[in-house]
Amino acid sequence: MRKKTTLAAAVLTAAALTLAACSGGGDGGDGGDGGDGGDPTEAVLSFYTDKAAWEPSFDDMNAASEGTTATLEFTGYSDPTAYDAFIKQSFRTDDKPDLFTWHTGDSLAQLVDEGLIAPTTEIWDAAIANGDVTEELAENYTYDGEQYCVPLNVVYWVMYYNKAVFEENGVEVPTTWDEFMDVGQTLVDNGVVPLHQMNIIFEFVWFQAILAGLDPDAYNGLSDGSVSYTDPVVVEAMNIWHDMQTDGFFIDPGVTTDPQTLLQTGEVAMAYFGTFFTGQLTDLGMVSDTDYGIFTLPNVSADLGDTSVVVETGPLCVGAGSANEAAALDYSAWWMGVDAQSAWSESRGDVSFNPGATVTDAALAAITEEVNGDGFLQLRRYLEATPTPIYTVASEQFGAFVTNNGDPMAVLEAIQAEADAYWADN
Amino acid sequence: MSLPAARQAELVPQRKPKNQFWLSSIGFVAPGVLLVAVVLYLPFLWTTYISFTEYNGLGDPEFIGIENFRDMFADPAFLNSVLNTLYWVIGTIALPVGLGLLIAVLSHGLPNATLFRLPFLIPYALSGVAVGVIWSFVLQTNGALSQALVFLHLPGSELRWLLDAPLNTFVMIGASTWQGAGVNALLFGIGLQSIPKEPLEAARVDGASGFTLFRTMTWPMLAPLTTVVVGLSIVGSLKTFDIIWGMTKGGPGRVSETLALTMYKETFINNAYGLGAAVALFLTVVTVLASILYLRRQLADSRSI
Repeated sequence: MRKKTTLAAAVLTAAALTLAACSGGGDGGDGGDGGDGGDPTEAVLSFYTDKAAWEPSFDDMNAASEGTTATLEFTGYSDPTAYDAFIKQSFRTDDKPDLFTWHTGDSLAQLVDEGLIAPTTEIWDAAIANGDVTEELAENYTYDGEQYCVPLNVVYWVMYYNKAVFEENGVEVPTTWDEFMDVGQTLVDNGVVPLHQMNIIFEFVWFQAILAGLDPDAYNGLSDGSVSYTDPVVVEAMNIWHDMQTDGFFIDPGVTTDPQTLLQTGEVAMAYFGTFFTGQLTDLGMVSDTDYGIFTLPNVSADLGDTSVVVETGPLCVGAGSANEAAALDYSAWWMGVDAQSAWSESRGDVSFNPGATVTDAALAAITEEVNGDGFLQLRRYLEATPTPIYTVASEQFGAFVTNNGDPMAVLEAIQAEADAYWADN
Repeated sequence: MSLPAARQAELVPQRKPKNQFWLSSIGFVAPGVLLVAVVLYLPFLWTTYISFTEYNGLGDPEFIGIENFRDMFADPAFLNSVLNTLYWVIGTIALPVGLGLLIAVLSHGLPNATLFRLPFLIPYALSGVAVGVIWSFVLQTNGALSQALVFLHLPGSELRWLLDAPLNTFVMIGASTWQGAGVNALLFGIGLQSIPKEPLEAARVDGASGFTLFRTMTWPMLAPLTTVVVGLSIVGSLKTFDIIWGMTKGGPGRVSETLALTMYKETFINNAYGLGAAVALFLTVVTVLASILYLRRQLADSRSI
C-alpha cells in the first residue's frame, strides 16, 4: 500500500511539473483591459520596441494620450538582434504584440507576406487627406496597394559640422560638390580629418550619399534589380569614394570612439548622419547652431535638378489578431496626428513626419522645411531599400572597403554576384 | 533441474515488490528525464531538422535536403571561420593553459603563493563582453597600445590591431589569455598541491632538479588535471563568442568570425535560420568529436601509466 502511494505521488509530481511547464506561456496573454470593442481610452496595449533608451519619451506619450486613446505598457529591448528574434517568435504564440516597432523594407515585407500585420490603409487615407503625412512617405509602408503600420519616426540624412573647426580653418558651408571637395581638401591640408565614417553598422552610408547625388535613378534601380552594381555610373560613384579615402578625407575606421564625441572634440570636422544625431550631440551638451550646424549634402552631379536627400523611416505596427487590435489601430490613428507628433518631437528633440508638428530645435525645423520643400528629392535609405540577402553581402563588402580601401570593382562584382542570384529567384 | 512447486510459489511474491519498486523509480526519474528531453534533446532535434530546411523564422520551414550544408562548405566566409576557430583552439591551449601552468609552477612553494596568483585571477571575474570592450579601447587605432608604443619609441604603433586579419584574431586570443590564464593557474596550483611529496623527494635524492624534475616527475603526475584543463579549453575555444563580439563583431567584413559567430550571424542577423542551424550542427559535431577523441586518448594514456 505504501509503495502504491509512493508511486502515485511520483507520477503526480511528474504530471504537475509537465503541466506547469506547458501552461507557462499562456498566462501573459490577458493584456485585454478594455479589449476589442471596449472603450479604447481604457485599453492598455502591450508595446514592444528595440529602443529601450526611449522609455522616457514613451512615458511622455502616455501622458499626452491620457483620456484620448489607449496607454502603452512598455517593454524595451536594447539588443536589436534579440528583439527581432523575439518578435518573430511571439507570432508563433497566442500572445501576439498589440503594438511594436519594426523596420521598413524587406523585414516588413516578410511580416506582411505572412499576414502578421494589421492593415492601416484607412488610417493613411485619412492622414494624407488631413495633411498629417506626405504621400511619398506612404510608399515605404505600401505592399500590394495596402498600407501597413504607421511611421514611428522619420530621419533625414544630412551633414553635421563643427562650427568652431570650420571657423578656425576659414571654410564655409559648401553649396556645390566642388565646394564640398575644396572644404575637405583645405581641412586635410590643415591637418584636420574632414569626415567621419565607420566600417560596421553605417558602412554603406557614403556609397548611398555619393550615388544618390550622382544618379538617383541608378540608386533606385539597384533596389529593384533594374540597375547592376557594375554599371558605369555605380562604378563611378565607387571610384569617387575610393579617391576620397585615398586623399585622407575620412577618419581611420579603427578609431571606435563615438562619432558625436569625435565631432565635439574636432577630431572630425563633419559627420554624415541621420537627424537622430542631434539628440546624441545634445546629450554631450553641444548647442545646435552654436557649437554645430547642419547642411544638406550637395549633389555630386551639378546637372541634377533636385538635391537628393536620403530618408529613413521606422514603423509602428499592429499585430494582426492581437488581444487589443482595434484599440491599437485607434492608437495608431492618434499617433499620426499633430498633437501626438508635437508631443513626440518635443520629448525626443527630433523631427517629425507630420509637417504640422512643432519641431522645437530650430536647426532641425529648418532642415525639415527645406527637404520637404521644392528642389529636393527624397530617397529611401540604402539599408531599407535593398533586399536583405544583397544588403548582407554589401555591408560586408563596404565594411572591408572602408577598412582597406581596396579595389572598388571587386567590391561591386561581389555584391552583383549576390544580386544576380537574388533577382533570379525573385 | 526444476524447483518444487511450493518453492516456485514462494518466489513469485518476492518478485512482485521488485517490479513495483522499478515502477515507482520511473515515476521519480520521469520529471528529470522529461526536463532534459524538453530543454536539451528536443531543441537539438529541432535544430537538426531546421538545418535541412529554408527558414526565415516566420511561417513554416521548407525542406531543401542538404543544400544548406553544400552552401556552407562552398562559402569562403565559413572556411575562414573554420580557420579562425582553429587559431583559437591552438592559441587557447598554447597561451592561457601554458601561461597558467607557468604561473602555477613558478609560484608553487613560495610563501604567500596565493597573493602572487590573485592578480591573474581577477580578470576571470569579468564577463567576456566587458573584456572585449576594455581591450578594444586599448587596441583601437591610435588607442592606448599604439600611444604607449609611440611614447616608448617602440615599433608596432602603425599596426592596425583590430582591422587586419589574422592579426585581429591573434590579439583577441591575447585578450582571452589575459582573462583565462589566472583560472588555469589556480587549477594547476591545486594540482601541484595534491601531488604526493615522497616521489618528488625520492627523485631529488636521485639527483633530479629544476626542469628535469618537472619534466620527469611533476608533469606526468599532473596529467589527470592537465587533461581536464586542456579538455575544457578545447571546448571553450571552439565556442568562443563573447570576446570577439565585444571587440570586432567578427569584422571588418567577416574576417575575424569564428564558427559560433557565423552561426549567430547567419541565424539572427541574416535570417538564414537553416544555414545557421547547419553551422550549429557542424560546430556541435566538431566539439563532441574533439572532446571524445582527446579524452579517449588521454584516458588511455593515463591507464597505461
